[in-house]
Amino acid sequence: MKRILDIGHTDLRLFLKHPSAFIWLFLVPFGFMYIMGAANSGPGDPYNRKPPVLIENADTNFLGRMLLSELSAQNMGLLDPTNRESAARVIQIPADFSENILALKQSKVKFRKRDGSAESDAALIQIRLVRALVAMNSHLLEAGTDTNSPGIFTESKLHAILAETNPVSLHTRFAGRKPVPSGFYFSLPGNLVMFLMMNLLIFGGSTVAAERRNGVIRRLMVMPVRRGEIVAGKIYGLMLLGAVQIVFFLTVGKFIFHVSLGANLPAVALVLLVFAWVAGSFGVLVGSIIAAPDRVSGLCVMASLLMAAIGGCWWPLEIGPPLMKTLSLCLPTGWALQALHQLISFGADLSAVAVPLAVLVGFGLAANALAARFFKS
Amino acid sequence: MSLLKVDRLSKSFGASRAVDGVSLEVQPGEIYGLLGPNGAGKTTSISMISGLLQPDAGEVLVAGHSFAADPQKAKRIMGVVPQELAIYEELSGRENLEFWGRIAGLSRNDARERTRELLAALTLTDRGNDPVKTYSGGMKRRINLGCALLHRPQLILLDEPTVGIDPQARQNILEFIGQLRATGTGILYTTHYLEEAENLCQRIGIIDHGRLLAEGTLPELQERLGGDRVFVMEANFENTAPDAWPGFRERFRIIQKSDRQLVVSAIGTRDPSDCLRELLSLPVRVENVTLKRPSLNDVFLQLTGRELRE
Repeated sequence: MKRILDIGHTDLRLFLKHPSAFIWLFLVPFGFMYIMGAANSGPGDPYNRKPPVLIENADTNFLGRMLLSELSAQNMGLLDPTNRESAARVIQIPADFSENILALKQSKVKFRKRDGSAESDAALIQIRLVRALVAMNSHLLEAGTDTNSPGIFTESKLHAILAETNPVSLHTRFAGRKPVPSGFYFSLPGNLVMFLMMNLLIFGGSTVAAERRNGVIRRLMVMPVRRGEIVAGKIYGLMLLGAVQIVFFLTVGKFIFHVSLGANLPAVALVLLVFAWVAGSFGVLVGSIIAAPDRVSGLCVMASLLMAAIGGCWWPLEIGPPLMKTLSLCLPTGWALQALHQLISFGADLSAVAVPLAVLVGFGLAANALAARFFKS
Repeated sequence: MSLLKVDRLSKSFGASRAVDGVSLEVQPGEIYGLLGPNGAGKTTSISMISGLLQPDAGEVLVAGHSFAADPQKAKRIMGVVPQELAIYEELSGRENLEFWGRIAGLSRNDARERTRELLAALTLTDRGNDPVKTYSGGMKRRINLGCALLHRPQLILLDEPTVGIDPQARQNILEFIGQLRATGTGILYTTHYLEEAENLCQRIGIIDHGRLLAEGTLPELQERLGGDRVFVMEANFENTAPDAWPGFRERFRIIQKSDRQLVVSAIGTRDPSDCLRELLSLPVRVENVTLKRPSLNDVFLQLTGRELRE
């Protein structure tokens, strides 16, 4: 055990002394996390999305303003007029909105579609618009039936009604199937899985190949240490490197990109450490099979990118064909990502990720056995 | 009891027989030189003795115990210095030594203390904290050697430890190895440098094409040539057949023949002046005759028909 720890700690020290380590462990992942997070971000959280809507309020009177505050209270993602290009829908409040209502006439609020916007966004906005209008009518009805001054609609009277606590409240959440993680909730686990696999494959594979070439592995094998201890030490060193990467990602995700890591941080850490073990074992296996360090690096980059893409690190598998989802189940990246989304985005606990964890352990055992089998001097 | 006993060790790679029935012994306080050209089978022999390669046949005994029966026990007795610089270039000399000490089984404190001793013995204390990649070739070789010595092995296997370094650095390493021998350590030393084998080793085994052709002390090997002197004749030996000269084969052993040179040793104990007179009376116009002590190269020539440096 002592020798396993010594080999692992020395390997970690060597990895961190490598000139490219800080670039690939910290700089590039940060950039990818930011770019992919920004590119995939939708407004709001996945359970309570806020598609952006532009309100064109031509009414200068108080009822126009009151409708605006009611729309805002309904969790509508109101846009600044300068951002009109990003609006999913436009709501137009006519100039005579207050005048008509105060005259007890009907007033039509226009709800316009914008080209290229999603129907699901429209549905959300429409629901909130209807709820806002119902709420507004309720307030008007309450003001109109007030026994002290019936039929009189003043701004102060309506504000007083609005300020009162509503005796009935309705809390809504995304119903039906689970929402697709987006923004940094997608880019954090996706990039973490991708860079863990990539870095542990490259550092593990090229280090083993290089140490075999310069004779360090041969030297280890003539020392009073068993081959299994050497393999375990190498994998342990890679897991430590993975832990550095995991801590960096989770810290940046939480404190810079404000990703809530869910209530099960220990479960998240467990899934990631098991995945680091799988990736480290694959790294040692690749280095044991392929002799040239340069070829190892090239192969590892290609393999990790392919595993990341098919595993769902680059785009949500929900938007692809069913075949992609099936393919992702053949790879450890797919299972790791599935478990992380469950824990981070959907608030699941450890028992909910037992199957992905068991599959990852299976991958790890297989890779471990193969690495031990093919490890040579 | 021998520290190392190698008995009829053999190894083939496909159709090529890399080591063919090599047997040797190393005693405590002895440096045994395994001398041979590149590709002779020296490194393959060391690899089998240290457990890196599985022999096809033969046995290795370390301090009287079969290596195969308990490899870990044998490895604790051994220190192996590989031919290549098997060290971490990014780490300092001190970090390298401490790491290999812990791998050899020392505690953290013992590894640190032993590292301090070895850095001093290898005259590297001043540079101990510098990364190895900043060292000269000779300094790297010294660290490479030191990494095998942390656990004070009784038996050291040195595989060409002075390859590619300058004469001064080589001399430093040879002196250090001589000091190790003085402490009772047994050393198996492979080399293709004649001078190293002649000056450093108490016994020498000559290996070529995987076979141990001869072994013994330097005088014993020289004796194979017929005594302590050889004659180097210079003449035009083109189209001549010395074996056909009357009585020549009965009196002289040919060590080497080329168009311009014939190297021979006398058979039996005879006066050198008689030998000289006989050589000058041969049916060839001799331009020059040199009398010299036989070197290991002459022994190698006689055994293989070619020079070690070829």
